[in-house]
Amino acid sequence: MIVKRRVAIIAALSIAAMTALIVWKPTVLIYGLQAAGLYAAVAIPMGLVLGIVHIVNLAHGECMMLAAYAAYFGCKALGMDPLVAILPTAIVTAIFGWVVFQLTIRRALKAPELNQLILTFGLAIAFSQAINLIFTSQTYKMPLEYVSASMDIGDISFGVWSFVFVAVAIIFAYGLTFFLTKTMTGKAAVAVGQNPRGAAIVGIDVYRTYGLVFALALALVGAMGALFLTKSAIFPGVGSPFTMKSFCLIAMAGIGNIPGILGASVLLGVAENFLRAFRPTRDWAEIVFFVLIIVVILARSLKGRKS
Amino acid sequence: MIKLKTENLTKRFLGLVAVNKVSFSMEEGEILGIIGPNGAGKTTFINLISGIIMPSEGLIEYKGTDITYMPAHERARRGIARTYQLIHPLENLTLIENVMVGSIFAKGHGLREARTKAEALCHELGLTGLDRDTSRLSIFEIKKMEIARALANEPEVLFLDEVMAGLNSDETKDLIAMVQRIALERHLAVGVIEHVMGVIRELTHRVIVLEAGELIAEGKYEEVSKNPRVVEAYLGGGTV
Amino acid sequence: MNRTASRIFALLFGVLAVTLPFFAGDYPLQVARNIMMYMALAITWDMLLRSGQISFGIAGLFGIGAYAAILSVVRAGMPAWFSILFAAIFAGGVAFVIGFLILRLRAMYFSIVTLALGEIFRIIIHNLHDFTGGPEGVVIQKGVVFGGKANSLYWLVLAGLAVAVAASTWFEKSKIHFALTAIRNNEVSAKSSGIDIFRWLLLAFVVTSAIQGLLGGIFVQSYGFATPDAVFSADFTLLPLAMALLGGVYSTTGPIFGAVLLGLVSEWLKLKIPYGHLVVYGIIIVVVILFMPQGLRQLVRRTPHGADGRSA
Repeated sequence: MIVKRRVAIIAALSIAAMTALIVWKPTVLIYGLQAAGLYAAVAIPMGLVLGIVHIVNLAHGECMMLAAYAAYFGCKALGMDPLVAILPTAIVTAIFGWVVFQLTIRRALKAPELNQLILTFGLAIAFSQAINLIFTSQTYKMPLEYVSASMDIGDISFGVWSFVFVAVAIIFAYGLTFFLTKTMTGKAAVAVGQNPRGAAIVGIDVYRTYGLVFALALALVGAMGALFLTKSAIFPGVGSPFTMKSFCLIAMAGIGNIPGILGASVLLGVAENFLRAFRPTRDWAEIVFFVLIIVVILARSLKGRKS
Repeated sequence: MIKLKTENLTKRFLGLVAVNKVSFSMEEGEILGIIGPNGAGKTTFINLISGIIMPSEGLIEYKGTDITYMPAHERARRGIARTYQLIHPLENLTLIENVMVGSIFAKGHGLREARTKAEALCHELGLTGLDRDTSRLSIFEIKKMEIARALANEPEVLFLDEVMAGLNSDETKDLIAMVQRIALERHLAVGVIEHVMGVIRELTHRVIVLEAGELIAEGKYEEVSKNPRVVEAYLGGGTV
Repeated sequence: MNRTASRIFALLFGVLAVTLPFFAGDYPLQVARNIMMYMALAITWDMLLRSGQISFGIAGLFGIGAYAAILSVVRAGMPAWFSILFAAIFAGGVAFVIGFLILRLRAMYFSIVTLALGEIFRIIIHNLHDFTGGPEGVVIQKGVVFGGKANSLYWLVLAGLAVAVAASTWFEKSKIHFALTAIRNNEVSAKSSGIDIFRWLLLAFVVTSAIQGLLGGIFVQSYGFATPDAVFSADFTLLPLAMALLGGVYSTTGPIFGAVLLGLVSEWLKLKIPYGHLVVYGIIIVVVILFMPQGLRQLVRRTPHGADGRSA
């Protein structure tokens, strides 16, 4: 009961805050939501891997970066639009994910958790520096007209394209929830995530499931990479901030709570854009994530200690 | 003289009562058996006393001092030592270095003194090849090393959590004699968790029986093993 | 390797390191300085790792030290010598304070928080324009240590390295070794041996952070300037980590070997491939973790150690 009341209070407070924000600084809310969509869409696949394979993939953002490069050069070669490239990129990155899993992560699953952390850290460096090696630190961008579409409401004007990220985040969150709760494969994956030994006893191939989940996550990241390319310039380091941000969102939502990532990302996206809206605080927007990640982790560890 | 006692010691995990209002005491020189079916809360009980987990309610008193919420390392320093059911030798340390740890931190000895003391302990327990890596030790040697590590704390109360498990009958016999001698010479109060009732019968002066976290009987092994509640608990839970 | 041989080897190595400026040219001296800087950081990273805690925040404390040193000179007129010491004290102090919060965290949570803290330090320095000079950084106009003489600066870095080696040896030969090893193996049984885990973690964290700060101070004093991008560069986390892993962790010699080897290779690669030579570091980390968790030391020392960590 107390928990329910607390949730109700938090919900009421946040609705009040949002309403106040709409009236006072509508663009903060609009851009905040757009940013939230992007963050959540990237974080959800990482949450899937963390929830089931129990690996913090520090190369997560780099995987998106690789996908964006693949999409860019695919589009250039074939004259495609990045939107058309979404599916092919997803397939390619899924295969890539499967291979990476089999070659590296699978071998480290039985090692101490810290080895896995260092391993994916190494992968992150290898990926971003390989791109740096091949394409240098030059930036690439797709010239696309539809991304600058804007909308006017009253006397404010804002870009609307980025709402596509919000849509994708919602599709990812609810699509995955459906997959994990309603399909056989999904249920098996959840079973493996909760109790690998038990799952193995009832005949589920644990490593195959891990590999599939990792590949699925990379497929989503790949799709996001192509979509990211529509909006943003790409360079070797473009993915790395997303790793930390994704981890932060997952830690806030709680590992295994995929829809919770949506809520957490709204909080962060709006907070960042709120700071960005004022000149004196503009430069501090970047710090929000890092402060929150520490606060969230410390709070969770204190809570864990009590129970 | 009473070394250790608990009053109404209780531990709840998310609604599950693992240890329920257990009151008991241990005297100097006494070897006490702690028995009960699997999942009865024996290890949890020792974890509470050694401070690895904190109780939900109740009192733990050691030599007249309330230690209910004292940190584990502080209890170790004051003289409560234990071994673990799941053995964990310290990798990257040799046999002798493993034994030195308790001496260094629980007693605050310097490295040289700790080494001398550890050598004496190993000698007493019949451990040789002291500079071997722990990965090269036999099960029997590891068990003895675990006991030596606990004794390096120079404890007054010692808990042994299934130290006989995995040993053959000769080794078990050796270890029983060893524990009895150690307890006698050092005036220790020793608490022993064992599944093999033969060991309990030979080794202990007195037993307490836990079932579903509750203390259901205590007394001499011969009496307790005839107690209908105990028999029932064991028949319900498995083998005696 | 037996003990006498390794002592002679260490002695020769030491003599070579000290006398290098007398016969090496500017370029080799510069390379040696870089390698020694990373070597010292690798040693400090390893020192904390011996307790089982992986820090991704080396660059953060290095940067803190760097700015503490340069700002104390530029803003407070502190003598160059003293500013280096101040850098160590300041970084150690910061570690002491944050240690109370974050040393209760374990495994990935500790690692991620150290990474985030490094970023927070960088952003703070970046944004406090008036005090820190912002993104353009700060330059020491006059009063650089040794007047910027190459040989003396080389010895200064060597002294920083000597501090790291001495501290690491102290960690290895004293009871700290027993405490950290016991904590890394199993915290529960460590407590039962009377080890106050938090106290020893705090000691290790403060000492390693202070040395990282000291090295940051030496770094800015030898270049005479600091910018957030230069002193908080991820390289200061990445390179030491790769070096220690390659050479073999939980020792002083491992990171030294790793740093010499990887330092020379990367110097060569830097000339061959200006962009992306760091890919080698990434690959080395991956390969070492997967195939030779003991690092190169494994090849030299034939003591069989079990895989570290988790009980079965």
